[in-house]
Amino acid sequence: MRIVIAEDSAVVRAGLAEILADSGHEVAAAVGNADDLLAAVAEHRPDAAVVDVRMPPGYTDEGVRAAIAIRRDHPKTGVLVFSQYIETHYAADLLGAASAGSAAGVGYLLKDRVSDVDEFVDALSRVAAGGTVLDPEVVTQLLAASRRTDKLRSFTAREREVLTLMAEGRSNSAIAANLVVSERAVEKHVANIFSKLTLAPSDADNRRVLAVLRYLES
Amino acid sequence: MRATDDNVPSQRSVLERILIRSWEYRHLRFWAGYRIVAGIILVFCGVATLWVGAYGWAALFLVPAALFLMFGYWEMTIAYRLLYAPLPQRVRELERSRSRVVDDSAAGLRRIERDLHDGAQAQLVAVSMKLGLATKKLGGMVDGTGQTDLDRVLELVVAAHRGTKEAITELRDLARGIHPPALDQGLGAALATLAARSDLPVELVVDLPERPSPAIETIAYFCAAELLANAAKHGRARHATLEAAHVPGLLRVEVTDDGIGGARVEAHGGLAGLAERVRTVDGRLRLSSPPGGPTMVTVELPSHA
Repeated sequence: MRIVIAEDSAVVRAGLAEILADSGHEVAAAVGNADDLLAAVAEHRPDAAVVDVRMPPGYTDEGVRAAIAIRRDHPKTGVLVFSQYIETHYAADLLGAASAGSAAGVGYLLKDRVSDVDEFVDALSRVAAGGTVLDPEVVTQLLAASRRTDKLRSFTAREREVLTLMAEGRSNSAIAANLVVSERAVEKHVANIFSKLTLAPSDADNRRVLAVLRYLES
Repeated sequence: MRATDDNVPSQRSVLERILIRSWEYRHLRFWAGYRIVAGIILVFCGVATLWVGAYGWAALFLVPAALFLMFGYWEMTIAYRLLYAPLPQRVRELERSRSRVVDDSAAGLRRIERDLHDGAQAQLVAVSMKLGLATKKLGGMVDGTGQTDLDRVLELVVAAHRGTKEAITELRDLARGIHPPALDQGLGAALATLAARSDLPVELVVDLPERPSPAIETIAYFCAAELLANAAKHGRARHATLEAAHVPGLLRVEVTDDGIGGARVEAHGGLAGLAERVRTVDGRLRLSSPPGGPTMVTVELPSHA
């Protein structure tokens, strides 16, 4: 994969470039702010961009806004946003931007996850391939916050687990392996989730993202 | 002036505050009222004697009447000035200083968060990346799927080790910036540590027979720290003197340096920030810094805030 990195901390930027290069990917550019990121993406047309949320000049949500802009202007570039804190509304913003386009291609991870090199590179490839990756922490926070809402109360414990793994961007077979159940069983849970979230079967490609999005909005 | 119950603005209505104050100044107002009433009676008497044509008697009434009215008016003005003027002014002062304290502490917390985020946290993320990479390589070597490259693993571990040491240093500096541990032993000990750690030679003169309250010690410490840093950085001083003296009710901290002078209290500048912090406890900061030096900054704080 060709990758562009945007991260304002020089040590983290260098570490990230090292990991990606070591995993056999090409780091086309490593920049320190959102404007340079947009320029680098336009120039290099990478498969994926790894973007820090807080960057100069404002140190607030520059990365999220840049990620949304990249998804809008360069649909072929997947964007993996990462930060030191999880803000669930950023996840909702990112997925909202993703569901408007054809493919998802967004991810939102805690910076800590980068230390599990293989998982991080795997997540990045899923995003580059148009998948969705959400940090388990996003899902945990959302679960905690959504206990009160009725829609989610109708889910069984197992369905919640499946939804959580779906939010993390796993395929049915990966979910089955993770929960030690058959793929058939997972398919059944997924179908139940879709019907409980009133997602019509015609939504095909986008349904998994939409399910997560409904979940975020509920 | 210390904040007492009757000038804490938020807890009392305007009417209550006026009643409290008028109680204090009731004597003054009583005498003023008495004099004015007496003056008016004397004026009536004077006019009456004029009416009957006794002009000599009239002067006897009218001269004291004028004096009474004059004094009465004067006392009334003082009473009203004491009654109405100082309280709203003090209320405004306290409101300003409270909002300064709130802004100051919010800005302080934000600065700490930023320092953590950009410093130790980023450093540790980088360390975890290096260790993650090293783990992956070692794992590959152990199960035979990866190539054997111990040099590279060693390089990664060494870099991670260096990173943790840097993170520790950053955390220590940050913790000290929040609350210098030496302050627990008293301001004298903390200032001695500060002087020893300073970038330029500092002569320390401490006379602190009694300890001021902790809040005052903390403010005094951070003033001294910033003034010494200023002396080294902006004043280009080669030597500084740090004096701290505590007499009953007043703590004085003075930093003198042999730098280039010409320091000014500018809006949003470091010295203005210090002056504001000092004012929040009713202290004051004085600056003497002629061009060419020497620069002398005196901070006076009440013993107890």
